[in-house]
Formats: sequence, structure tokens, C-alpha cells
Amino acid sequence: MPQLTYASIDQTVLDTLSPAKKYYWAIVAVLLLGVLVGAACWIYQIFVGIGVGGQNNPVAWGTYLINFVFWVGIAHSGTLISAILHLFRAGWRNPIARAAETMTVFAVCIAGLFPFIHLGRVWQVYYMLPLPNQRLLWPNFLSPLMFDVIAISTYLTVSTLFWYTGLLPDLAAVRDRSQGTRKKIFNFLSMGWTGAHDQWRHYTRGYLFFAALATPLVISVHSVVSWDFALGITPGWHTTIFAPYFVAGAIHSGLAMVLTLMIPMRKIFKYEKIITNDVLENVAKTILFTGLIVGFAYATEFFIAWYSHNIVEMESFRWRAMGDYRLEFFIMVVCNTILPLLFLFKNIRRTIPLLFGISLFVNLGMWYERFVIIIGGVAHGFSPHAWGLYRPTGIEYGILIGSFCLFFSLFLLFAKHLPSVSITEMKETLEHGGSHAG
Amino acid sequence: MQGKKYIMGLFKDEDQVVSTLAALKETAYQFQRVHSPIPSHKIMATLDLKKSKVGYFTLVGGVLGLISGFALAIYCSTQWSLIVSGKPIISLIPFFIVGFEFTILFAVFGNVIGLLTQTRLPRFKGLAHYDPRCSGEHFGVLAACEPM
Repeated sequence: MPQLTYASIDQTVLDTLSPAKKYYWAIVAVLLLGVLVGAACWIYQIFVGIGVGGQNNPVAWGTYLINFVFWVGIAHSGTLISAILHLFRAGWRNPIARAAETMTVFAVCIAGLFPFIHLGRVWQVYYMLPLPNQRLLWPNFLSPLMFDVIAISTYLTVSTLFWYTGLLPDLAAVRDRSQGTRKKIFNFLSMGWTGAHDQWRHYTRGYLFFAALATPLVISVHSVVSWDFALGITPGWHTTIFAPYFVAGAIHSGLAMVLTLMIPMRKIFKYEKIITNDVLENVAKTILFTGLIVGFAYATEFFIAWYSHNIVEMESFRWRAMGDYRLEFFIMVVCNTILPLLFLFKNIRRTIPLLFGISLFVNLGMWYERFVIIIGGVAHGFSPHAWGLYRPTGIEYGILIGSFCLFFSLFLLFAKHLPSVSITEMKETLEHGGSHAG
Repeated sequence: MQGKKYIMGLFKDEDQVVSTLAALKETAYQFQRVHSPIPSHKIMATLDLKKSKVGYFTLVGGVLGLISGFALAIYCSTQWSLIVSGKPIISLIPFFIVGFEFTILFAVFGNVIGLLTQTRLPRFKGLAHYDPRCSGEHFGVLAACEPM
């Protein structure tokens, strides 16, 4: 990157923090309206009852849990980029690491809302906390749902602390180039960071430990999410490949969301010299790789069903591909495994509109993957007399739209008020080609 | 540091900082600290710094987390002694997941405590003789000398 200098990086990133124009606030207002729609739907559900959703007997797990798994999955690529690629010293992750980490934090927050929404009687959520109580009830830590409570809350805490730690030197850089109230705010946020050699000495070690701890955590979190399903005996769920299958799928969807967010941000903030075509191409290559893993997992599920000679499993997977949800299955396969194969071609990987378009399809496909797995499992279980179908209701769509609007509005607010590219890590890329090496 | 005089040299290149630090040793100036916009291995190597102790905080946090996770799961199970799925009341394999997550969580808490205590943050009033250009494109070498 010969054209970049320390000063130009500072200037480019600080320019993004200049006062926002009217159209920015108009977009934020529209998104917040969407959030209000979602909130209104949830409030309506609380007053009327969980029956306003499409969940039924046998399909008791509907879009709320699809959305939960989808948003947890989106979160995972942020940790892949910030922690795993950091350990591998992949310098290309530096320009997108901050935005991807931020995406992680927001996505986990939104994912965490969905079990609350799914509970119906949300005020009873404290039943999951191990508190001494008059009921003499305690959480059952044999349950994968309790594993999930622990894993998701750990993930949210760790990813937030990791994100803030990475932000610290950049907050100081903004502080030193600000005046008045903004300087005071950033002085508070940066906690008095000065970049003294002794601070860096501890910081680089601490950052390395963060990355080393976040890496097994991220793998464990989506494995635990997969066990919500795999530890049940439901056909289509009860399989040992779920953990790696879910982790790969999570990274697949998250990387697609990274492209969905980065491409407009790069254009709007004039980040072309920082988030180069090479960076986007590397993300596309990783999507190609995770898409192949996901495709292999889809095929393996069918192979296991056939090889097991278990008629329930065989029927479950026949129905998955040719039954009532064949359209959803078709969308899942095409969007997640076939379209990403286009990234085999270099000119497609380097054509920005195509990258953006394919990333949208992968997002769509990954939502439908969760639909196919979650709904398909319980809708077509062991007993034919207990088979049933499910369609989301308007209330569920309202909450789904609200969650997307909340995610994008939070991201927009972040991008305009905090450094959306890591200034420090970009400078390190110029100097060493790596980041925060401890 | 009362009565001392301070001087800060600002450089745009870390190699210049390294040579300055070497040259400073030959003078009457006392080296104080280096401020830099990035963590510089060359500078750290020149200063011959000791390894950070943050890792010990992380380790202690992790060990406490592992014990706490298992202890919580075992305590809750013994308070509610109901056999579920034919598994023993104290089932170590599922409890390992709780122990694992707590290990990570507490290790990160330890890491944060280690970072804050070792870097002496928060320090909202900042450091004396700090130059804001050192978070931009300059490396600042601060030295002191006794007054004449």
C-alpha cells in the first residue's frame, strides 16, 4: 500500500466522523421506525400471548429461534476476522477487523433478544439464573439450553471487551484531534491512553491472550447452539456433524454479512485505498471455502440418512428435498453452495456489484438453512399422525424486520461516531504487515 | 521528577527512534519513555523490556473460572437432585461445557484486570509531557536532565 501514510490513514478515518448530513439521519430514522415496528409486534405478543406467532404443535420452534441461530452465526465471522486471522497474522484482515468486530457485538445482542421473545412470558426469564429462590428450583446444567445461556452471555461479554480493547488506541487518536465536548467524551472513552512504550508492552500481550481465548470460545459457542438441536432425538437433528457444520455455516453467513456491510461503507466513506479490492477478494475466497464445507455438510447429512438404513431418517431427508419445504431447501442449496462457486472466477471476485449481490444471496440462503433445519426437523418427526406444517405470521415477520433494522441502525450509528477502521492496525500494516503482534 | 527539565524528540520513523534511543544512552539525558502510534517491536527490543505480567492475571482468572463453572453446576444439581435422562446427579461431561465457558469468561476478566492494572488505566488526566502528535504520525522520545 504505497499510497497510504500514517497521516492519510488518520485523515481518512477522522473524516468519517465529521457531522452527518441530513440523509444519514433520514436513513437512521427510517431504520428506527422499523425497530419500532418490531418492538410493537413484540409488545402485542406479550399482551395477547405467544399464539400470535405461527408456532404450533408439533412445530414449537419457529422464526424466533431461526433468527437466534442466524444472528449468532452472523456474529461469528467477526471473531474469525478479529481473533483467528489475528493469530494467523493475516494482515489483510486489518482494514475490516473493526467493522467485523462491531458487527459481532451487535449481532450477538440481537441474537440474545430472540430467546426472550420466544419465551412468551419474558418476565420469567430469571428462572434461568442460578439464584436462591422460594421455588427451590435451580437451573438444570445437563440441558443444552442452559449451555446456551452460559455460552451466549460469555460470548457477548468477551466480544464486547475484545472490541473495546482494540478500540482504545484509536479513541485516543480521535481525542487528540478533537476539541471541546468531543475531546472530553473521547478522553473519558480512551481512559487516558497515551501509547507509552510500557502501555504497548502490556497491551500487545493482553490483546494476544484475548485472541487466543476468543478463538476456542467462538468455536464452542456455535457448537453449543448446534447441540440445542443435535442433543435431541428428532430426526434430522440428532447427528454428530452438527457442531462443525454449524460453525462453518456461521462463518459462511457472517463473511457474507461482512461484504454486505463493507461494500457500501467503503464507497460512502471513500475507503477504497484502505479496504482494497484485494481485501474483498480474500473475503470472497474465504466464503468460497466455507461454502464448500457447508455443501459437503449438506451432502453428508443425506449420505448418513441413506447409509443408516433408518427409515425415519431417510424419510426426513427425502421430505426435506422433495416435501412441503422443497422451495426453502432449493433456496438454501443454491444460495449457500452453488452461487458462492462463482467466486472461483477471479473477475467475479474483483467485481464489486457481483460481490455485493452474491453476499446478499448467501445471507438469504443462510436464513433459509436455519428454516430448513429447525422447522424441517420438528414438522416431520417420528409419527406421521404428529406431522404438521408451519408458516411465520405477520407478527413474526414484523419482529424479523425489526431485528434487521436494529442491526443496521446500530451499525450506522457506530460507523459515523467511532473509528470504523482500526487506525492503529492500519498503521501497523504499513510498518509490519501484521497487527498487535504480542 | 520535580526540578528536572524534560525534552521530547518527535520522529516520523521508528528506525530513527531506535538509533536515538541508542545514542541517548551515551549522553547525560535520562531516558523516560517513548510514545508511539503503534506497538513497535524494534523499540521494545531496543529498550530490552521485561515480559508483561498480564498473562498471570489471565491464568489465575482461567483457573478460577474452571473451578467456579464446575462448582456452580455441581451445586445447582445437588440442590435439585432429580435424575434427568438417566444421568448421574453430578455429570462431569456436560458440566465440562459450563466449566469451559466459565474458564474463558474469567480468563478474559483476569486479562482485563491485568491490562488495567499494568497499564495503569484509567488515567483521565493523562501523562505529563505527552504530545498529542504521538497518537498520529509521530514517535515521541521523552528524556530528562538535571537543571543547570
